Parts: sequence; C-alpha cells; structure tokens
Amino acid sequence: MRPFLVATLVLLLAAAGASAQSSAERVLAATLENGLRVLLQEDHRSPVVSFQMWYRVGSRNEARGATGIAHFLEHMMFKGTPTYGQGQFARLVEQNGGQDNAFTSQDVTSYYVNIAADKIDLVIELEADRMHNLKLDAKDIASEREVVIEERRTRTEDDPGGFLGEEVGAIAFRSHPYGPPIIGFTEDIKRITPEEIRAFYKAYYMPNNAILVAAGDFKAAEVLAKIRAKFGKIPRGTPPPPVLAVEPPQNGERRVIVSKQAQLPIVYLGYHVPNQKSGDAFGLEMLSSILSEGRASRLYKRLVYQRQIALEAGGDYNYFSQDPNLFWFWATPMPGQTPESMEKALLAEMETLKTEPVTEEELQRAKNQVEAAFVFQEDSVHRRASLLARFELIGGYADKDRFVERLRAVTAADVQRVARTYFSDDKKNVGVLLPRP
Amino acid sequence: MRPRRLPALLVVLALLLAASAGAAKPIAHREVLPNGIVLLVAERPAIPIVVVRTFAHAGAVLDPPDRAGLANLTGALLTRGTAKHSGPELDSAIEFVGGSLSAGAARDGLTASLSVLKKDVGLGLDLLAEVLLTPTFPDDELKRKAAQIQAAIKRSEEDPGTVAGRALAKLVFPSHPYGVPVEGTVESVGKLTRDDVVRFHRGYVRPDTTIIAVVGAVTVDEARREIVARFGGWKAPAEPPPTVSSVTPGATPQTQVIEKELTQATILLGRQAIRQTDPDYFPLTVGSYVLGGGSASRLYSRVREEGGLAYAVYSYANPARYGASFIVSAQTRTAEVPKVVEIMREELARMTREPVTERELKLAKDYLIGSFPLRLDTTSKVADFIVAVEEQGLGLDYADRYKERVAKVTAADVQRVAAKYFAPDTFNRVVVGAPKP
Repeated sequence: MRPFLVATLVLLLAAAGASAQSSAERVLAATLENGLRVLLQEDHRSPVVSFQMWYRVGSRNEARGATGIAHFLEHMMFKGTPTYGQGQFARLVEQNGGQDNAFTSQDVTSYYVNIAADKIDLVIELEADRMHNLKLDAKDIASEREVVIEERRTRTEDDPGGFLGEEVGAIAFRSHPYGPPIIGFTEDIKRITPEEIRAFYKAYYMPNNAILVAAGDFKAAEVLAKIRAKFGKIPRGTPPPPVLAVEPPQNGERRVIVSKQAQLPIVYLGYHVPNQKSGDAFGLEMLSSILSEGRASRLYKRLVYQRQIALEAGGDYNYFSQDPNLFWFWATPMPGQTPESMEKALLAEMETLKTEPVTEEELQRAKNQVEAAFVFQEDSVHRRASLLARFELIGGYADKDRFVERLRAVTAADVQRVARTYFSDDKKNVGVLLPRP
Repeated sequence: MRPRRLPALLVVLALLLAASAGAAKPIAHREVLPNGIVLLVAERPAIPIVVVRTFAHAGAVLDPPDRAGLANLTGALLTRGTAKHSGPELDSAIEFVGGSLSAGAARDGLTASLSVLKKDVGLGLDLLAEVLLTPTFPDDELKRKAAQIQAAIKRSEEDPGTVAGRALAKLVFPSHPYGVPVEGTVESVGKLTRDDVVRFHRGYVRPDTTIIAVVGAVTVDEARREIVARFGGWKAPAEPPPTVSSVTPGATPQTQVIEKELTQATILLGRQAIRQTDPDYFPLTVGSYVLGGGSASRLYSRVREEGGLAYAVYSYANPARYGASFIVSAQTRTAEVPKVVEIMREELARMTREPVTERELKLAKDYLIGSFPLRLDTTSKVADFIVAVEEQGLGLDYADRYKERVAKVTAADVQRVAAKYFAPDTFNRVVVGAPKP
C-alpha cells in the first residue's frame, strides 16, 4: 500500500493505540496443529464481523532484484483458485453485502473482509482456499503487472511525497530491506516472473506463518470449530527463512535532493531508532505524540501556528516495526519559505527537546490522548481486530493491555533522554524535494 | 490495495447509497427545539464515547460570487477563538482530555464535530457551544488561516485528482456555486475580510437551520438536557434564512485537457444527474453499480482486470441538496488515454442500449442492500448518516425506503434511466496529464 509516506505514518499512528479495558479475558486465542494462530473477539453491538488474515511477509522479506513481489502477490490473491475462479472472491463477498481489501507493508500482508456476521462461513471457506490453492496463472500475472505499475504511478511517480519518501528510504538503509519501496521498483515489477511469484507464495503463505483475527457478532467457540474444520486441513509448511540483515550504524549525515514538478517543497528527516524490543520504545512513542498529535502538539503549534513557516509538520515513530526502523519528521514550508530554513526549524525543535524537558502538561496530554484513542478504537470491530493482530505480530496480543500502563510510566526525563540518544546530526537522513514549475 | 471504495469525500454519499435496514426501531430519536434546532439522538451505550455533529445550512453555496471561499474560511475560524477562549486554549482544553473538536464548511453546509469520552461530554459541549455561538474571528487568526488556505490551494495544484475535479465541476455546473471550489481561489481568499466572515456567521449559522446529532453513550433525556442548556437560548436573526437556487441544466458538453508533467493521466467524465428525491435515483444507483461500482462491474472488468489499463476506475452518483452529478473516473498511463476513454464511452452506451443481465442486477441489489449494516457499525458513521438524511430532507426512515426501492428496480428501469443519464455524448470530459507519452 503506502499511499504516500506521510499517510502511511499517520495510519500506523492511528493503529498505535492500546486498550483501557482488558482484552485478554474476551479474546479466544488458539494455535491449530498446523501452526495457524487464531484470535477471536466477540463484540455483539452490530450484526457484523471483521475477518482478517495477516501473513508474516512484507517487503522486508524480499530479495534485491525482486522488490515489490510481496505486494504483487497481494494483488494476485484476488485472481482466483481452481474452486473459486477469476473474480469469484470479490463477487461472492459483494453479493453477500461484504467489503474486502488488503494492504502490504514492510512487515506484513493483511487481508480483510467486513461482512454481515451470518456470512462468516463463506469468508472462512474463501480465505482457507486462497491460503493454499491460489492459481497464479501466467496470463493473469501479466495483466495484473500493468495494474501494479499504474498503482506505482499514482502513489510514487506522480506524487511528490511518495517520490521523496522512496529516495529517503534508499539512503537511510544500506543493508536492511526496509530501504526499497514496498510497491517495488518499476524495473523489478516488470521483471518478476510467474515462477518467482509462485515460489514466494509457497514460501510464505502457510498456516504457520499467518494470524487469523476476527472481531464481531459471533460465538467464538463455534467460529473456532469452523476455522479448525476448514483451515485445519492445510498442511504446515517449511518455516520461511528469517530476515538476517542488520542495518549497520550510520556514520555521518546522508542527504538526497530531488527536483520535480510540484508547487511547494517538502522536507523529510529520518533517524534510525530501535523498535519495541528496546526499553526506549515507550519514550519514542510518547515523543511522537507530543510532537504531532493534534493542534496543541509541539510541531503544529510552533511551526504551523506560531511561526507560520510550515503548512504542515509532524514526526512519527513506528512502534510496531519488526526490525529497527526510522523516526520520521516531515514538513511542508509555506510559500516564501525555503527548505533550508524549514530543516533548520525542525532541527531547532529537536535541540530544544534535548536541552529542555517537555512540560508536564505536554506529557499528560499525550498520555490522555493515547488512552482515549484506545477507547475510541473499541468502537470499530475492524480496528479492534487490527490492533489485536498488530500486538500479536510483535509478541502477543495480551501486550495490548499493558501498553497504556507502560506509556503512563514515561517521564519527561525519558523523553529528553531518547531525544538526545537518537536525534544526532551524524545519524540524520535528509530528503528535500525542490519544486520545479 | 485495491481502490474500490469511493473517495473519502463521498463517505456520506456512500452511506446514503447503501442505506437500507431491517431495523424495526427508528435509527434515531428526532425532535425540534423551540428555536428550530433539529435534535437527533442515537443511543449506543456499549463504549463510553460520545460523538456530536452539528450541521448548519451555511455552505459554500451561500458564498457571494466575488467571495468564493467565505464559508470555508468561516468554518475554519470557528475553533480559532471565542468570547471565552483563544484558539490555542480551545486546542489545549479538548486535546488534554483526548478529544477532538473541529469545524469546516462543504458545499451545502457548515459542520462542527466533537468526539469525547463520556466523562468529558460536559466540557466538550461547552466548547462546541462556544465555537458555534460566540466565535470572535480575531484578525490575526483570520490572516493566518487565510494564508494557510491559500498555501493548501497552491499545493493542491500538484494533485491531479483535485485539479481534474475542480475543472469538471466548472463544466458540469457552469452557472451555479457548485461549479466554484469550496475553498475558493488564492485570489478570492486573499480578498476576504473579517466583516465578510462576521456577516456570514451571523446571517447563516442560526438555530432554525441547524441540525444537532448526538450519538453514543448518552440517553435521549440526557442529550436533550445538555443541548437545551447550551443551545436553548440561541435566537435566530430576524431576517429569514437565505434561499438558494437549484442548479440549471448544464451547457453543451465540453472537453478540457490540462497539461502536467505526469506519467499517468486522470480522466473524468461527468454530467448533471438527479438526487435521492427523484424516483429514478434508485435505478440510477443500481445502474452505476453495474457500470463501475464494484470489482465485478463492467468498467473494473474491462479496464482493470482484462486490460491492465488502470489501478483505479469507477463510476458514482454524487447527489447534493441543490443538484447532482454522475461521474466516471479512471487513471491510466498517458499512452492509453484514448483506449480508456473509448471503453468508458462504449460501456456507457451499452447501458443505454441493452438491459443489464439478471445476474448483474441481482449482484448490485444484493450488495447495495446487504452491505447496509457495515455503513452503521461505528458511532461516527451513525452520526454522519442521520445528519445526512435529515439535511437532505429524506426522513429517518430513508434507510428502509431505500432498501424497498432498490429491491424493486428492474433491468428495464435501469435501461430507461441509463438512456436519460448515461448517453456518452452528454458527458463533459477532463483529462489531466502529459500531452504525449
């Protein structure tokens, strides 16, 4: 997916909530004999269900020369099996009033169907079928290849933010596969063969590499039995190879400047930071909220509102990243402002974070915002299910219940420490888009 | 990801399109307060959150011809200062409790939205009442907001979809405010004064044209008490509410090409159509679904699945209070523009020439009726829906009527209505992209 960088970050941020109530007691968790992990959460407020399949495969698992293959395969998952031919999946879902879609990220490929709760049997049948029996016909691959290239044009080639984001990714990662774009390079999308897609499908689509999550108006025990009946027949596969690459330390500033037809410049900064396995993750998460959540947040208030030098500005941390990733900052200068002054203003804000502790009010507000976001999240079965999956992917769905508590423990000194530790000049990746008329 | 959903802009429309219900219980309680406010309340007790939407008939349709963007600026300034609080104080107050408060105008109305945890509903409503009833429109805030809007307009020129949409609106509604962008132009926004904003607010944001919807963990009695306490004393101005003319028939269809340095062209075909109060709206909706509504639609099949010509292709009806349009849209690589336009025209013509198949008809009806529960599965969606049906004068039972009307549509109805609205030569056409591949 990755509509463009900033939107992706915002989506991730939106997903980064936690729950005020304990989810553990209301989630039925099971692992089938073939390794399929199943999480079921009953929610009887609306007669609907969100049924989601999360495969532990994304652009992170791709080889050089075959970037975009995970996302290409996501497209192919809608192209049919011997039982449900071309177009049948979408047709059956629509005919039953459902909505379905999918996305690919650096770490996962996720498919969802939201549908009236009494149609869940159909979805179980369809998802079990395409986990194991995808056709991957050469002719279908050929036409879908063109569709993927069109998607890339929309998201990257013709979108200044997407265009710049790809360049910054490329300079920030020299070894780890987080560098290349999720959608892949055009050259690779054009080159990838049907055999490679089939091999990729075989290597990663298997019960022991997937999480099935559903939330909605059903009886969990009954649904689990149905899932067992359909998915239980699929054999366990050979575990996919682990991703071994570790990004080496960055030893100096890296910078990329691109020129493109656009109206306003864009500035991106990316700093390497640890993921949730580090004790600093909660400090970084708080920092991200303090910087960007709402109109009272620091970057908006200072750069957009008070100084009026930015049309928009923000910073974001991806707590859920499987491997260490970047803490992003972005800003669009107001007309008349230069990207140089914009970058300086962002760096000045970081210096302030290092030298002065954030205020108690800022810290408390950020904590209250995260806590409230977790409650709002409970309003949607789709978001409930997604959040369970995200926590399960990084260690266990039950961690969701401890997330808010651990954020609450972050102090102003913690925030200052993480800012000092990670936002140093020689670890900076800078991207600037200069508009060409 | 497969973009088969309509753009976010059309969410409310989509709600209307898909409305139908099996619910015996009315979707919301409705009453008219003595000062004319229409109060709608929908109880959703399970999650401790409350969402409030207010809608005043103070949209961009009321912008004076030389003041394009006035409603938009007025809406954006409501949260930028009141008799009691400055803009930053409002931001801090609502965000400290993890809530949000925003306001903005669209074509037909000005909307303010509040989301809060139940425990903070008193605070939230106090602030909401302040921004609607006692905004002060400080000069410095006006200058700042106008500059931001101008910068955003400038930047939007790099988004081909926005550029194409603006150009098409002008062709479809040449002599109506619907042909003018809600946000105005860089020039028109530069001319707006505080007097304009104060007058617009005083004249058009008034209780006798305002809808207030309260949805969430609140009872009808609580909602009434809290709303009356804050809005009961709000008095309408002496002069009657303004009247707006409906659209007049469009001029001779035209084609416009806007050249940009892009790898992909955005194609929009559009013409005037009908709104929900016209009985032909239901066959039109079904017809549009068959033509370009879902993954099994004719355009999706031919342009995307078979041709590999586009990532996004769809058609939709876009009804508003004073007029409606019907749009067909696709994005394709520059070289294929003629081919995609030809397919669009062929498929439009085929809809007028021959009846849709029984299979297509059934799929469209099953989806439009069956997907209804998904349209109302969150608190925000319910609030959007009840405001929309009230605002468009459709009645709170519209959901049920919609379902009945859609169920009755025949293939002959679809063909008859297609003959009126789908004839390819009656469409304006806008293409944004490079002149040659």
